[in-house]
Amino acid sequence: MALEKGVYRAFEDIVGPDNISEEPAILDAYAWTGIVLKARKSLAPDTNEDECGRFALRCEAVVLPGRTEEVQATVRLCNNHGLKFKAFSTGWIGGNMVWEPGVIQIDLRRMNRILEINEKNMYAVIEPYVIGAQLQAELMKIGLNCNITGGGSQTSALPIAAHWGTGHTAHSTSNGERSLLALEWVTPQGDVVRTGSLGSTGEWFCGDGPGPSLRGVVRGSITPFSGMGVYTKAATKIYHWPGPATFPIEGASPSYRPSEIPPRFIIRYFSFPTMESRAEAMRQISESEIAFELMGFPIAMIASNMATSNQEERELFARLSKEVKGPGFIVIINGSSDREFAYRTKVLKAIIDSTGGTSLPAMEDPAIGGAQMWRFIRITASIRETFRATGDHSGVFPGHNEFVPVVRLARDIAKVKRELQKKDLILDDGAEAFPWTEEYGNLAHAEVLYRFSANPASLDGVKHLNEESVKLAVNERAGVPFFVTGDELHDIFGPAASNYHVWLRRIKKAFDPNGAADSGSYITARDE
Amino acid sequence: MALADCKRTMEMCCRCSCCKFIPLERIEGYRYADVCPSVARYNLHAYSGGGRIGMAVGMLEHRFEYSDSFLKVLYDCQMCGGCDVSCKYMMDMEVLDPINEMRITCVESGRSLPVLDRLRDNLRAKGVMVGTAAENRWAEGLDVPDVEEKKTKVVYHAGCRTRADQEQWNAARATLALLKKAGVDVGIARGELCCGGRAYEMGYKEDFLKAAERKTDQLKRSGAEVVVTGCADCFQALSVLYDRFGVKGGVEVLHTTEYFNRLIKEGKIRPSKRLEVKVVYHDPCHLGRLGEPYIHWDGREIPGHIRLFDPPKELRRGGRGVYDPPREILTSIPGVKLLEMGRRREYAWCCGAGGGVAESNPDFAAWTANERIEEAFSTGAEALVTACPGCERAFRSSARKHGSSMKVFDIAEVLGKAI
Repeated sequence: MALEKGVYRAFEDIVGPDNISEEPAILDAYAWTGIVLKARKSLAPDTNEDECGRFALRCEAVVLPGRTEEVQATVRLCNNHGLKFKAFSTGWIGGNMVWEPGVIQIDLRRMNRILEINEKNMYAVIEPYVIGAQLQAELMKIGLNCNITGGGSQTSALPIAAHWGTGHTAHSTSNGERSLLALEWVTPQGDVVRTGSLGSTGEWFCGDGPGPSLRGVVRGSITPFSGMGVYTKAATKIYHWPGPATFPIEGASPSYRPSEIPPRFIIRYFSFPTMESRAEAMRQISESEIAFELMGFPIAMIASNMATSNQEERELFARLSKEVKGPGFIVIINGSSDREFAYRTKVLKAIIDSTGGTSLPAMEDPAIGGAQMWRFIRITASIRETFRATGDHSGVFPGHNEFVPVVRLARDIAKVKRELQKKDLILDDGAEAFPWTEEYGNLAHAEVLYRFSANPASLDGVKHLNEESVKLAVNERAGVPFFVTGDELHDIFGPAASNYHVWLRRIKKAFDPNGAADSGSYITARDE
Repeated sequence: MALADCKRTMEMCCRCSCCKFIPLERIEGYRYADVCPSVARYNLHAYSGGGRIGMAVGMLEHRFEYSDSFLKVLYDCQMCGGCDVSCKYMMDMEVLDPINEMRITCVESGRSLPVLDRLRDNLRAKGVMVGTAAENRWAEGLDVPDVEEKKTKVVYHAGCRTRADQEQWNAARATLALLKKAGVDVGIARGELCCGGRAYEMGYKEDFLKAAERKTDQLKRSGAEVVVTGCADCFQALSVLYDRFGVKGGVEVLHTTEYFNRLIKEGKIRPSKRLEVKVVYHDPCHLGRLGEPYIHWDGREIPGHIRLFDPPKELRRGGRGVYDPPREILTSIPGVKLLEMGRRREYAWCCGAGGGVAESNPDFAAWTANERIEEAFSTGAEALVTACPGCERAFRSSARKHGSSMKVFDIAEVLGKAI
């Protein structure tokens, strides 16, 4: 349905004529998603479908507010006219799709300022469209660093302010939701709420008070993907960075690498004879708090990251697979002093020796290792790993919990993956779980990567893999992973996790009685 | 190639937004992280490389009409290729090709911008984008033979922009003076024809091909072994596009920066006068990332769960353009201190003039150029040096419009002062 002219003009009055559009071609750009929604004829000639399979629903119009007041007015106007809204920052991943007709897309691109970097109290205040790479680059100049979501540093520095936001450096920089401090929030009805210390003192230093602590409300089980309103400013914790102000990168695309590995930095990839020995090594490294980064990459992902093309990746995977003992991880150690660095590397050696790890020679090469190090610090790896193969998003996120259950779950999902590989429904890239630790092992996350071609048989295979992973996650009580979006999945996981879905719905109903915030990627307020 | 031929590569777009920023591993701060002038200026996702791909697929699937609003998005793009570099730094796909094919599709469907149609009409009628081929006031008084009358080893191609813009004549005249000083057997075509490159970027593919054939004939008739041009657009057309479309003759194509650098290394030009100045060099898109040699490939995609090609396909990722020669020239001049902007080489910010934007949306072109001038200022440079008349014109116009004190030079002018 097209917006009535008067309604369109009302939105236009809020954001200005340059910052609104209902042009179908422009809306198609917004409807294009990062996930494949259906089989493609170009890959499956026997299908009747002649579409590329990437278009979700078109929104009615897109608006680009530049200030909180404009967001607030937009949201209120939606409520007044029975419209819905869906906000996003950089807009990656399917959770940002519009799910139903009558939605106004709120693109937060114009809200892109770093408002404050508070060195003394170690937090940064940002608007939604500051990307991770920008914030990190500014922080490194003053010896600080931030958590960046594993999706990549081209995404918001704090995606939708409350995203789980786990990633490569989460071992030492925690994750997004736990780095979140005070928050400015436009509720689904258009009220502006300032949470934590911001609500009482105007300061950003704390998410839980002395003002209202609503972190659980705004986040829900996972990020609500705008299903609970719009987050317009947020403070995020920042962390110590013992490295250079600017990483000394040289070379040309696609082979950027540091001219030298900075002093007191080392990267290694260790492989192990069994999943158990790898897990034990990861546990000990976490417990000793020596690592900056600890990621249980399968060798297939290492090959993806070292390679500059799919062709090269296949060749590298074949070669590197022969050089590893079994499951592995990358570890980056750094130190603020020579003594600290010496201590940490000594502890690492002792752990590796005692757990039977073997270092991958390629990662010891300063040129290769240096490039990987910067890639894993700047967080640019995921696109090569998950999208370069066919352009399709390709990963199961089995869990977020303590280390042992998520590793166990990922292992079991990997078994399902192996069966699909045997049937050639997905790429045979090994079938290793991909676990990592957060906050030095306080929490953990695991994924299983898969790459597939969007033909009907493979899509069925992927569907099966996802369904099985849900069953396993529920049966093994491995926590509620962050792919749980939408009513169907919440209704599966809720009963297995303290009926949290009932509370989510009550909260949703209380804050969004008109159902104005598109809940396709969250939960609806329907009665139980 | 047609837009439909780009379908598979477009399906690779995962909407990650990397096309909006310089390669993430090169971001050094908040301020100069953007690579795409179009989305930086207009913000709507549709203006980005990824957004344009979404629209292109929409075109293929006949999801919308070619409205004026759509044409505005389509043509408010300098075709600078920044998105292409930032995407292909990680992905195996093409971004700029489909964007180009969208314009070609629109032109073939009878939808284009009247202001650009007029340039195309001039090209058809007079063999050049502006003015006439017979206009050669820029070369008046120069003792340079007409290659139609006397064969020379080198032919200097000034390009439409230079010939039609009096402010650019200094650079062209300085170039010829330098070449003559080095003892180069050089001539010009008094009836110099357009290379057609800009027509291609505006979507007029057929007109480009006809212009290219005419130009190739002209170069062939000249008997020259080398064509040297100071225009990055012409360089890219003559070397890359002509190769791509199989119309490149046997003549060697060099940009003036390559040729000057060669002459300096051979000792035929000696920059000896001291110039105490801090300069920053701007990489023209068509000399840099778009000037990378074309790579021919004839094969097929292998069906499977990872996109592979038979035979293996090498993508042009922008890193092999002409980057070092201009820098080597500048550092060979005593007293010149060469500074670098954050956005440089294959991920340089565009000057704003390309893709027809200078003609169709001068305000946007000026805004883009001003962004670059501000970046140049941030380095502490006193002068911005470039190697393309399009860039030079864009910077000078913007500096004038915004009251900037940044001096702007073509590299030939700077080198000329040092000889």
